[in-house]
Amino acid sequence: MTGKRGGFLRDNGLSLAFGGLFVVTLVGQAVSGAADFNAQQIANGLEPVSMQEYVTSSSFGVDVMENWQSEYLQFFLYIFATVWLVQRGSAESKKPGDEGTESDKDQRVGPHATEDSPEWARTGGWRGLVFSRSLGLLMGALFLLTWAASSVAGWAAYNGEQLGQLEDPVSWFGYLGEADFWNRSFQNWQSEMLAVGSMTVFSVYLRQRGSPESKPVGVAHAETGETG
Amino acid sequence: MPRRCSRPTSVSLALLGGAVLLLGGCASAQRPDVEQVATRFTDPSGDPEARCDLLTPASLASFERSEAAPCAEAINQLPLDSGSVRSVEIWGGEAQVRLTGDTLFLTETHSGWRVTAAGCRMHADAPYDCEVEP
Repeated sequence: MTGKRGGFLRDNGLSLAFGGLFVVTLVGQAVSGAADFNAQQIANGLEPVSMQEYVTSSSFGVDVMENWQSEYLQFFLYIFATVWLVQRGSAESKKPGDEGTESDKDQRVGPHATEDSPEWARTGGWRGLVFSRSLGLLMGALFLLTWAASSVAGWAAYNGEQLGQLEDPVSWFGYLGEADFWNRSFQNWQSEMLAVGSMTVFSVYLRQRGSPESKPVGVAHAETGETG
Repeated sequence: MPRRCSRPTSVSLALLGGAVLLLGGCASAQRPDVEQVATRFTDPSGDPEARCDLLTPASLASFERSEAAPCAEAINQLPLDSGSVRSVEIWGGEAQVRLTGDTLFLTETHSGWRVTAAGCRMHADAPYDCEVEP
């Protein structure tokens, strides 16, 4: 079932809306971040920087990357965890008893693929293996890349701060052992785990009429896996 | 106005690698300017007024306050060791130059690199103790 097709905007409203919100909030972060950065520069007797200098700085880079990596970690963990773990009554969970990667028939792969199944779902082999885990793998890869980018940008920003405080810079491996790197990582990770855990439990007892993130309003609390 | 170097905001492995190269390349491009300011500042035969102009306003004010004298009169009394450059570290708009007998810290301003601290001695797990500092 592909649903009734509308115009491009209507068919892609969710992606476009969040793409637009992403750009607007990133600009908001750049403007407020530059103001905050320059206030600190002036307080330290240093010159303020331009917007272009700020958005290409390691300070802005690490602030962006540390949030991106935690978002991708959240989705990576949730995608793989929901294969094997369930929460009775949650709209975010499969039904108890359905844990695991499920049968080829259930997943419509190989001989059970339909005419409009993606090609790699029909062909099987290594392509089928990769495609059937591609969402989680991409999230995992993006997490590793953005976490690595966060470590490099964080290292550069940290060393700039070290020199500004008349202290020696550290190596990249040295930075990986610094509290600054792990504090930035854990403070983002904990908030993602809280958000996902809350959503899992809240969707057992609360409803949002019309949202696929919720069960239909009249469905019992104990009912699992239905979305409305 | 000197161009400040960009620093990494990469999202892919290629960009990540590029960011590391950018950090190194950027530091290499700025190294001659940083070295020149550090060696000019510590050169005892240099013009005192010109050497004082290489300090940031905050460090200049702090130095004159601590010496209770104009910088140009007091700077030659500073126990600075010009020596040769042993290493240079540049991170963003901050730099550190280690000379044979001295360590200096510099910051990038719209007028070029300026000295924030000089005559610095290392203290384990603590900021350097400097004769001139903000």
